Amino acid sequence: MVDVATLAVNSVIISALYALVAIGFTLIFGVGGVLNLSHGATITLGAFAAYYASGGIVEAGVGGAVLAAIVVPALFSAAVYKGLIERIQDQPVMVMILTLVVAIAVEQVFLVAEGTQPKSIPSLLDGTVALGGSKFQTNLLVVFALSWVIIAGLFYTINNTETGKAILATSMTTKGAALVGIESDRVNLYTWVVAGGLAGVAGLFLGSFQTANFAMGRGPLMLSFAIVVIGGIGSVKGSLVGAYVIGTAEVVTGAINTRLTGLVPLLLLILVLLVKPEGLFGRELAE
Amino acid sequence: MSADATATRGLVGLLDPRRYGIRHQAGVVGLVLLAVAPYLVPTVWVRNLTIALFFAMFAMSWDVVSGYTGQISFGHAFFFAIGGYSSALLNLELGLPPVVTVPVAVVVTVVAGLLVGVPALRLRGPYFSLVTLVAPTILLNVFILFSDTFGGELGLDSPAPILDFDDLAVTLVANYYLAFALFVGILAVLLAVTRSDAGAVFTAIREDEDAVAASGLNPAKFKVFAFALSAAVGGLAGAVFVHTPVGNPNPSQLLALTVSIEVIIAAILGGMGTIVGAAIAGIFLRLFQLYLGTVEYVVPVVDTAVADVDLLLFSLVTLVLLFALPGGIVRWAVHGGGAALDNIRGRDTATDGGRDPPDRDALAAVRESWREDVAAMQARVPGAEPGPDESAGGDRR
Repeated sequence: MVDVATLAVNSVIISALYALVAIGFTLIFGVGGVLNLSHGATITLGAFAAYYASGGIVEAGVGGAVLAAIVVPALFSAAVYKGLIERIQDQPVMVMILTLVVAIAVEQVFLVAEGTQPKSIPSLLDGTVALGGSKFQTNLLVVFALSWVIIAGLFYTINNTETGKAILATSMTTKGAALVGIESDRVNLYTWVVAGGLAGVAGLFLGSFQTANFAMGRGPLMLSFAIVVIGGIGSVKGSLVGAYVIGTAEVVTGAINTRLTGLVPLLLLILVLLVKPEGLFGRELAE
Repeated sequence: MSADATATRGLVGLLDPRRYGIRHQAGVVGLVLLAVAPYLVPTVWVRNLTIALFFAMFAMSWDVVSGYTGQISFGHAFFFAIGGYSSALLNLELGLPPVVTVPVAVVVTVVAGLLVGVPALRLRGPYFSLVTLVAPTILLNVFILFSDTFGGELGLDSPAPILDFDDLAVTLVANYYLAFALFVGILAVLLAVTRSDAGAVFTAIREDEDAVAASGLNPAKFKVFAFALSAAVGGLAGAVFVHTPVGNPNPSQLLALTVSIEVIIAAILGGMGTIVGAAIAGIFLRLFQLYLGTVEYVVPVVDTAVADVDLLLFSLVTLVLLFALPGGIVRWAVHGGGAALDNIRGRDTATDGGRDPPDRDALAAVRESWREDVAAMQARVPGAEPGPDESAGGDRR
């Protein structure tokens, strides 16, 4: 018999984590029109940065691990944008291929350096907490809380700060934003850095209650597709809702049969693409 | 071999020797070299060449739908896997000989291709690519879900070989010629189709789908035809592949994401929308990759052998090549060479610069149509563009 309360809590927690990944993915697409397929590799990078900072190379404690998991992927993301994507961002096919090749290269680096053996990342907080009759790892609850703090902070930044408004404006219309003096290249760079940081944190969280390995970013990347398509590509609010749809679907089907977990989100993605391609929060085609 | 996307003469024109230009003669020399290759290279390279020929077939199958119609598929491994797995399963479970299972596998692949293609081709640009990117992943998950039948991530046992002899070297050479015959056959069919009137329509769809529709042709019909043809070719190559000693029905050879991506890289490096480019780059890319796997040179500083980091090096080299030659090697050689020859022979240049419209870079055409699609998609996001229906999607996050 499946415990409904455990399922509910698990899906709420994992969904918050997926939202972190998907929001970064959708930000880059919304602002630059770029499908960044190296987003999954950024997650892996975040997890390994945390691993190296928490004993793999240096012993910097949990704080150092969190810092490394944010800074390294953000810098990596900025480097990918500046070095590769900026010059070809109006060529979607090349962008998709190049970001995929970058993803393969990053995976290969970790495969060669660390092998296929999964690495464990220390929990943010140890111990368990009783909630609604079942026990949960404190770590999971911390992940949940931090994810929501970050998401709320992001919403506040986008809606209320100058830079956030510039990001919003560019995603609405690049030309219009340029007319009022917003540099779209700089805004693009901001979104890549933010997305990289978000993915890095997600990698740390994911690694802290599962493990880190070279291919850990693939699953979340595929889920991000499903999430952003369900929510409407480019809509931050949509990807938050989409993350909860997908996260819940994954946890519930996982309880029925673990082999179904990878399948259901992708089938949902295909269904939404065929029935309602603009997604839940996308605008109707004005044709 | 012709790399001429402008030619709409059809098969008869292609067989007319008077039409043979330098590039066609070079193509014939290339084919002859491939035909005698087993007698020129050591046995292990016969094996590698066979793998490369199959990979070139995969790349050509991608080119006919994505290179020509501009519908970029990111999941062509779907076709190779359906072809390979159906043929292997029919052989292993029912004991049917490859002569029967391969044609059945082709039919199965075309049906599966239509099941995915007909609904997916309604979607434009990046959305189509997303669906095709996800399709092989779904198939892999189905294989894992029904591991008892499909062998999960490990794949199936090797099915019965088509050609098998007591001597391993003879078997390898025989299978090389099997692959070579299939390669030439597929090359001929795809060249004939893409140089026909249908091929001209494919190119027109890539350039401007609306214009094709406006001139009274149904773009959907042609796209589905190209997709089905591509599925048939990919399925055929995949099906024969598993019945040779170089191929096995497992996800890493037929279904992995890297398979789909390598196919695209090969076609783009060779020159999208040329078929020949995909074939040439496919052969060389796979040979280069196999060669890297054998290099035992140890890189000093990081202290790892080249063979251990072959995939990493391969991806870095492709990054550089894609960046340097986005138009493709074959197109670059044909045009650069052609222009140079015209100069030497003192031929007149056409007043408009002599550029035939369909010769435009295929990638550039796709880029343009995608830009429109992306803009349309972004416009659909709430609050994306000030318009009369702004209140309808007016939530501002």
